[in-house]
Amino acid sequence: MFWRILWRLLHASRGRLLLAFIAVASGAAVCAALLNLDLDAGDKLAREFRVLGANVIVAPQRSTDAVPLMDAGAMAQINALRVPEIVAAAPYLYIAAQAEPPAASNVAQAGPAAAGNATQQAEKASGIPVIVAGTWFDQIARMNSWWKIEGQWVSSRDDSAHCMAGSEAAKTLGLGPGSALILRYGGREASLIVSGIATSGGSEDSQLFVSLEVAQNLAALGGRIGLVQLSVRGSAPAIENVMKQLARALPGLSVLPVRQLAATEGRLLERIRGLLLATVFLILLLTALGVLAAMAGLALERRRDVGLMKALGGSVQRVVGFFLAEATVVGLAGGVIGCGAGMLLSQWMGARIFATSIAPRPIVLPVILILMVAVSLAGALPLGLLGRVRPAEILRGE
Amino acid sequence: MTEPVKDLVVQAELVSKTFGTLRALDRVSFQVVAGEWIAIMGPSGSGKTTLINILGGLDRPTSGRAIVDGVDVGTLGERELTRYRADKVGFVFQQFHLVPYLSAVENVMLAQYFHSVADEAEAVRALQRVGLGDRLVHLPSQLSGGEQQRVALARALINHPKLILADEPTGNLDQANEDLVLDLLRDLHSAGHTILLVTHSLAIGRLADRRIELAHGRLAQIIFNVDENHKAVQEHS
Ligand SMILES: Nc1ncnc2c1ncn2[C@@H]1O[C@H](COP(=O)(O)OP(=O)(O)O)[C@@H](O)[C@H]1O
Ligand SMILES: [Mg+2]
Repeated sequence: MFWRILWRLLHASRGRLLLAFIAVASGAAVCAALLNLDLDAGDKLAREFRVLGANVIVAPQRSTDAVPLMDAGAMAQINALRVPEIVAAAPYLYIAAQAEPPAASNVAQAGPAAAGNATQQAEKASGIPVIVAGTWFDQIARMNSWWKIEGQWVSSRDDSAHCMAGSEAAKTLGLGPGSALILRYGGREASLIVSGIATSGGSEDSQLFVSLEVAQNLAALGGRIGLVQLSVRGSAPAIENVMKQLARALPGLSVLPVRQLAATEGRLLERIRGLLLATVFLILLLTALGVLAAMAGLALERRRDVGLMKALGGSVQRVVGFFLAEATVVGLAGGVIGCGAGMLLSQWMGARIFATSIAPRPIVLPVILILMVAVSLAGALPLGLLGRVRPAEILRGE
Repeated sequence: MTEPVKDLVVQAELVSKTFGTLRALDRVSFQVVAGEWIAIMGPSGSGKTTLINILGGLDRPTSGRAIVDGVDVGTLGERELTRYRADKVGFVFQQFHLVPYLSAVENVMLAQYFHSVADEAEAVRALQRVGLGDRLVHLPSQLSGGEQQRVALARALINHPKLILADEPTGNLDQANEDLVLDLLRDLHSAGHTILLVTHSLAIGRLADRRIELAHGRLAQIIFNVDENHKAVQEHS
């Protein structure tokens, strides 16, 4: 019977409820669009932070040394901090070594053009200068998961038999996955097999990556590193906080942010997000007012019916329950329709304003539905006042 | 007086109701036995509706006691009054007061729903009893005044109330429909229902067992219709 009466009520008041529905649906559309935009932009931002790779470096303070170095023990100190925001930390020791390209036979799989190029270079010189970075493979892999890899990452941190080659360096040296090469530095040498070719789009593309130990041995700098790169995740203040912790734990070393620009971009985006949420709040308020206006008219129309229902023995809860159920239906219907429209709107806004594609987020639907039902119920509060209607007065009046 | 009070449905004891300075009811006392049909008469503004509203739990007496089926209506809280209206009384109003967007059968079912649970088959039977078996799904706006009032009567009866309160139920009806409704009331009376009927018409008042006459909120006289020829009139102070 409840549903039957509810249906009749909805049908009888469809004009006024349509007004409330339009208020809710348009409120839901804008809120859904903004929330979706916010969620998606937020994720894009987070992804961008990940794209950054290292955003903090630890380096020796500038000194009179020609090449400032630090103790590799700093790694142990950093790891001992157990800061969850540190996604990865990689030591780096850079050396400018001579690379001897592989024999033509080693790159047979790289194709005739590459093979020809390699042969030509092998003939030309006993070595080509290249920047060699000694590091921990597992950490740079984690830090730079967005690098495009041809072949494979070196899987183990201190694999001294394999190396990774930046794409530019690989081109210059005629390297492909599986190529062998020899690195020379100060009379020492190391022979390595290329495991993968990495494309980062940055300066790393012209470098070779070897295990820290290999670089230390070549340079005869056991236990020394040049700097540590860290990938720290979180908001700008969170990252600053981690940097303070690092500085405290590593006296005598500099802790520096990289990509300052990204941090201010992040702050700007945070401010935009704040603005979005404030707008959502404002729209919810306006929606509630719209529903309120429609429902206030409805409440006036319903006074007689409420008086009558109470006279017939309908309890306040039951009678007002009908009206709250109506508001809930309006909230749900408006929420669903508005949410669908909002998704389209956010895609349009994403394309037109932010020039990115915005994916619809399923989580937005339940959030919007809850918000819209709450807003509709809030807007239906005047109907709650009908509970106070005195039936004798209503029924007496002509 | 000395006989045991058996089956007293209504005991009004010095019931008064004031609206501001206006005394709508002034120390009205009377009793109604189960199965009785009482006509409440008096000029407009004499307090008839006020009395019906108090007995029906729509209003509270300012002083005095209105006891219906053993319950002192004036002492009930808001919730208990709601329950009381659903359980003990059935209203019929001059303006019919059907819910406009519910069909005839749904109007009857609404009373069932407020009382306990809606039972469509029973509601249909109730409408058939008042001769509206072919008007079940009509909306009030699609029914004549007489038909609407018969729906209201079916609604008033559906929960087997102790007391039927009818406030000028034929006031808005033509002669033919008035006769139909009165026939139904007569049937209810012979079936043992207790009826309080407000009317202006002496002809209708004579159908009742007794007539209670109000004037300026006071009980002017109670007339036993059966003894009217003998002018057996109980005067009231
Ligand atoms: N809610 C109210 N407020 C003020 N005066 C009222 C109210 N209800 C009834 N009255 C007054 O009480 C008197 C009795 O009214 P009522 O019981 O409706 O008379 P009747 O039904 O006999 O015509 C009238 O003078 C009426 O104006
Ligand atoms: Mg009246």
